[in-house]
Amino acid sequence: MKTIIYTCPYVPAEWIAAHGLRPSRIIPGAVGSTGSVMRTEGVCPYVRAFIDEVITDKHACGVVMTTVCDQMRRAFDILVRKSELPAFLMNVPNTWQTVGAQKLYIDELKRLGRFLIRLGGKSPSNDDLAKIMLKYDSARASILAARGYLSARQYVEAIAAFGRDGPNARPNNAVGAEPLIGRVPLALVGGPLIKLDFDIFDIVEQFGGRIVLDATETGERGMCAPFDRRSLRDDPLMELSNAYFGGIQDASRRPNNELYKWLGHELIDRSARGIIFRRYVWCDMWHAEFWRLKDWTELPVLDIDIGGDNETNQRRTPNRIRAFLEMLQ
Amino acid sequence: MSDVPRQITLEEWDRRYEELQRAGIHQPSYSGPLSRHVEDGDKRLLKLRYDNSAAALRLWNFLLTEEDRLHEARTSGKKLVGTMKDLGTVPVMAYSFDNVVAFYPDGAWWIPCVMELDAGLLEIADSLGIDESFCPVRAMLGAFVTGAHFPLPDLLTCSVGATCDDFSAIAQRLNGLGYPILWWEAPHRRSGEPGEATVKLPGGFSAPKCQVEFVKSELERLKTALEELAGQHLDEKKLSAGIKKANQVCMYLDEIRQLAFTTAVCPMPALEMLIAEMLAIHFCSDRDETIEVLKELLGEVRTRVQAGKGVLCADAARIFWVNPVADLQVMNLLEDCGGRICGTEYLFTHALDRIPEDLSPAEALARMALADPTVGSSADRAQRICADIRRFGAEAVLISRIPGASHCALEGEVIGEIVQDKLDVPVLEIEVSPVTDSMRPTLCTRLEALVETVRERRKR
Repeated sequence: MKTIIYTCPYVPAEWIAAHGLRPSRIIPGAVGSTGSVMRTEGVCPYVRAFIDEVITDKHACGVVMTTVCDQMRRAFDILVRKSELPAFLMNVPNTWQTVGAQKLYIDELKRLGRFLIRLGGKSPSNDDLAKIMLKYDSARASILAARGYLSARQYVEAIAAFGRDGPNARPNNAVGAEPLIGRVPLALVGGPLIKLDFDIFDIVEQFGGRIVLDATETGERGMCAPFDRRSLRDDPLMELSNAYFGGIQDASRRPNNELYKWLGHELIDRSARGIIFRRYVWCDMWHAEFWRLKDWTELPVLDIDIGGDNETNQRRTPNRIRAFLEMLQ
Repeated sequence: MSDVPRQITLEEWDRRYEELQRAGIHQPSYSGPLSRHVEDGDKRLLKLRYDNSAAALRLWNFLLTEEDRLHEARTSGKKLVGTMKDLGTVPVMAYSFDNVVAFYPDGAWWIPCVMELDAGLLEIADSLGIDESFCPVRAMLGAFVTGAHFPLPDLLTCSVGATCDDFSAIAQRLNGLGYPILWWEAPHRRSGEPGEATVKLPGGFSAPKCQVEFVKSELERLKTALEELAGQHLDEKKLSAGIKKANQVCMYLDEIRQLAFTTAVCPMPALEMLIAEMLAIHFCSDRDETIEVLKELLGEVRTRVQAGKGVLCADAARIFWVNPVADLQVMNLLEDCGGRICGTEYLFTHALDRIPEDLSPAEALARMALADPTVGSSADRAQRICADIRRFGAEAVLISRIPGASHCALEGEVIGEIVQDKLDVPVLEIEVSPVTDSMRPTLCTRLEALVETVRERRKR
């Protein structure tokens, strides 16, 4: 089956799968060093890593990117010049409070559908789409339900595997979660992680903490809302839009106060005692939220900025997390 | 009194101002010696060189008295609208009301330069978590907090979507501090798909008709908000009249640019040209006076061209400049290094292109908004730059990066490659911070290298 790669959470995997293609949400392994981008200063390390990942990908038959952030929008310009992989740039509005914005999102899904058909996909019936949505919804619900039985790292890996391989993904859950007793519950907030950053879950555990809320783009925050089964039967595309465009809260939304509402609820629900705020250097969208988050919450917040140098990040991050946890214990 | 065109210092301008006064040359009410603005803290003015015409004096005084005008407008009962990020579209609509004045809070990005970092705006932005990894437009945050550089607007609008992340993030920070913002969506401009209806936009781009319809609906939301603010209905007739006035600004600027960029001897320096172009964004808070200022400037340029007089050597290297500079002095520096401006793309070509008058005004404004060079791809932008390089006969391209700006990180590579592929002209990228004094030798070396390259290529 032909594979379509993407990374933005606003791209619904169900829509790609309903076209008979295999959606695969990629999480770059590390900040790239292949030199795909001439400049490094000013370029978000995640964007750089994503460009490298796409350029070196040997299996995909197409890539879908979105306009959620400016650097990714510009990265599309680079990719269409440097890669022969068919690429699609999906307009995802930053505003969300108008009917027009939601209609634009649905129109863009339809346009994405035409792109997928050009790549060999087939136009889905409402029934086909609804069946696939149900399958994904059940798989997503299983992962969310497994949170209490998995370590924080296993949990994020299960989410990543689901994004990469869909509902048939088999997460590694050989070793269950250790009891939370005595550990400091923390939330991890920010944009997307790269695979190398999954170490952060182990580092937190090593120093006596536990990530109880992964509010990164690659974690729970990047998962769409559960589908309303009745709406799904009546108009599956509309329900898909409601769950993704209406259900995923992000720093890029204007205004983005719903993100804080969501966080407020989840932080209380998980009894988090501190927040690790993880951002990429040059990611303006998340960087600008740090002080606002600090003003908004009464919890202590640790700012971890990730530059383009993997080694420096690996040396510096554990020390900062250790100090943060010592303060909270 | 000498009328030989040349660039003079601020001190020389004060003497010249006296001469103009004695000669009885009419100046508007906001005129006066330029050096008075230094007393307000605009220290950078001491280091700039200015065109010595009365038209240039009027231009500078008009620019430097905007804050006074905004306060006067408020006192007289007019409503103030801060139109963030769209660089030209919403002001056309706002000025179609007779009791609304639009201004451009993003313009605060030049305050750190003009006041040589003394205003403390960047420090305020720092304290709010918006540090130097963001574009200098972060100074706007400080300007809002201090309230010292413009009166707080009655309505604040901001376009988002296909805009730079810096501005979007800074505007959101502002919103988070309690400043209400009316957000509107500018979608990424894309090409039409096979069989999809497209429309031609001002400036030569095209866009799918459905995108124009979407932007029209967004502008309709803005119109409703403006009507509520103004307490007036904005009908098609009024909006059409507003577009006509905006087009007068475009018409004057078009001729000024054509003459300044193509005449053998440059009739107007780069700095004054930059200021003149900027007026198109929001008319410097007085649309009618903008028209008068530009009319006089055009008169001066025409006179000089007819007389074969100018301010630079005829062999100056003809440079096309991409992106506005955070430090105004760099425009002088280019000329010091033997260059002249022959074409510009300061991120707002859509404010310079004439708005269609043969369409419904709402449709025309939607097309204008979508013609914004930054809402499209870098490749589109490069195509427009290529077309303008051909139009103005530039021999090299200078891409001036804005420190921290999200679009500058990746677009230079694409623009540079396309321009070189299509036109085989040299391309140089530099970065310009708000005050470049410490970088001046480096910048000089790079600009001189570009000028030398151009001159060598002439020998081929």
